[in-house]
Amino acid sequence: MTDDSHSTQRPRESGTSRLWWLLGRLDVSATVGKPLVTLVVVLTLVFLLVPIVATVVASFATTWTGVVPRGFFTLDNWRIVLGMKEGLGPRGGVISGLVFSAMVATGGMVLNILVGVPIAYSLTRYDFFGKDWVNTLAVLPVVPGIVLAVAFIRTYPHNSGSSLGLIVGYALLKSPFMVLTVQSSFQSMNLQQIEESARSLGASWPRTFLTVIVPNAKDGIIAGSIITWTLAAAEFNFTFIVDPTDPQPFALFLYENISRSPVLQSAAAVSVYFSIVLVVIVLLQSVGRTGFTTVER
Amino acid sequence: MSDVTLDSVTKRYDSEAAVEGIDLRVDDGEVLGVIGPSGCGKTTTLRTIAGFETPTAGAVRFDGEDVTNVPPERRNVGLVFQSYALFDNMSVAQNVAFGLKMQGVGADERRERAVELLELLGIEALADRSPRTLSGGQQQRVGLARALAIEPNILLLDEPMTGLDEQLKRRLRTELSELLSELDVTALYVTHDQEEAMVMCDRIAVLNDGTIEQVGSPQDIYEQPANQFVADFVGTSNVLDAVVTDGRVDLGFAAVNANGLSEADDGRLIVRPDDFVPGGSAFEAVVRDRYYLGECVRVRAELPDGQFVTVDLDGEWQDSHPGEALPLDIRTDGIHVLS
Repeated sequence: MTDDSHSTQRPRESGTSRLWWLLGRLDVSATVGKPLVTLVVVLTLVFLLVPIVATVVASFATTWTGVVPRGFFTLDNWRIVLGMKEGLGPRGGVISGLVFSAMVATGGMVLNILVGVPIAYSLTRYDFFGKDWVNTLAVLPVVPGIVLAVAFIRTYPHNSGSSLGLIVGYALLKSPFMVLTVQSSFQSMNLQQIEESARSLGASWPRTFLTVIVPNAKDGIIAGSIITWTLAAAEFNFTFIVDPTDPQPFALFLYENISRSPVLQSAAAVSVYFSIVLVVIVLLQSVGRTGFTTVER
Repeated sequence: MSDVTLDSVTKRYDSEAAVEGIDLRVDDGEVLGVIGPSGCGKTTTLRTIAGFETPTAGAVRFDGEDVTNVPPERRNVGLVFQSYALFDNMSVAQNVAFGLKMQGVGADERRERAVELLELLGIEALADRSPRTLSGGQQQRVGLARALAIEPNILLLDEPMTGLDEQLKRRLRTELSELLSELDVTALYVTHDQEEAMVMCDRIAVLNDGTIEQVGSPQDIYEQPANQFVADFVGTSNVLDAVVTDGRVDLGFAAVNANGLSEADDGRLIVRPDDFVPGGSAFEAVVRDRYYLGECVRVRAELPDGQFVTVDLDGEWQDSHPGEALPLDIRTDGIHVLS
């Protein structure tokens, strides 16, 4: 019997078999595969980024009637949005609103880290009665913000309009993103053996958790933080219903700018959001690179 | 280093016993191997010594002191795992120094001692690298250096070579054996690889179903197995019923010379594959399967009474093939008999 797995003879079977044979002969992976995948990725990125770039560019234009904005360069749209110049749309307290929103979103993110990381750890590390239910409950809050908000103010009416209510609500609403990303990090390591190594070397359990386990899950924690912060900062439904009085949260600021202002002012408001998100992502990634070293050299 | 004793240790999960009434002693400076099939209680024994399992009954003692209820972080044991379990958020040197930091050793001294150990293991050049960038063999060396850095009461090695390629395993085995001997480390070496245990350990404990079948030197375990389980588990063995009369051993289907055996030795002969003498005239077997092992040829042969035995062939007999007759005798000098 001869091994004909590398035969150069064309198979006599169906057209599909012949196609696979031909692709194999062409070594598609090396010649076409990589450039093809790169092209698809680039096209997708361009497709996703063009609207963002166009919006940011338009925020510095004086007119935007067709596809391409015209009449550069002006800062008037930004000035109006940031409350430094009179114009149409919402007024006053923009900067304090932005700061308030950033703080509330950060509060929600920190609460998520404090609660979500231990939950993700327990779900990965231990087997216990009802684990599947806890797993389901941890992911359940991925419900529309409006649903949670109605339930929230019915259950905790005294928290309506308070910043604590917003922090807890944001944390609850976005917690699945933290739990799932951190759980994924924990699942990629041998948690039990890493923990036991550290403890055998003299570290108590809390110290092991804080100086070995958590830093080893930093990629998941950073990813979870970026997602929960970004989504909390822009969460409109929950914010709208819980309705804090003053200052105005960022999501409502965005809504009012987009719904009541001219399109170029909306573009400036959206650009403010993208700028803040960009700064937060860079900050969190920087913390991820340098902020988890636990033992000095 | 310390001597470590397990006194009648039992560990049950619900009603199922993982280990049952184990008595074991690892002497100061000794390397004790623990071998046995999967699920026999090897890892439970190791985890009990480390403090990660609390015995249902019995006691664990370090130098005679009862440490049964002492938490793992206060036992000062070194652990080396198959999966290395290195801390990826720290450099190699930081990993090695971690235990020293927990002991409150100053930063400069930690670094100095970490580098010393890395030099001892020949990986000082990797001190500032991330564990993620190392090969399996390098990671295992780092894990070993980290465990040794704290000068543990006992070093516990849980299948440390599993997953490494054969060539690297052989090299590491020799290095580790020399290192443990040089540092006079008390160690418990859990493995399913009996050859590894024979090379590495001063004594070996054979576990089966949560109990100890035999503890002895590698030679004792191989040549004087306490029972059929040990004979079957350690090396390859053939068990043949025998009756000794008038200087002959009656095997039922044939008789062989009873060199060194007396009538008191009636029972079951533990015949290793190399105890058979190909070309002998005592009886004739038929080759059924043939395996080329490089250093010898091993065959599975059928005896006249239908039993199958494993036989190592040398010389001209290596050319025996399935279906061919194989004349055999048995070398009974020093052969072990189970009564």
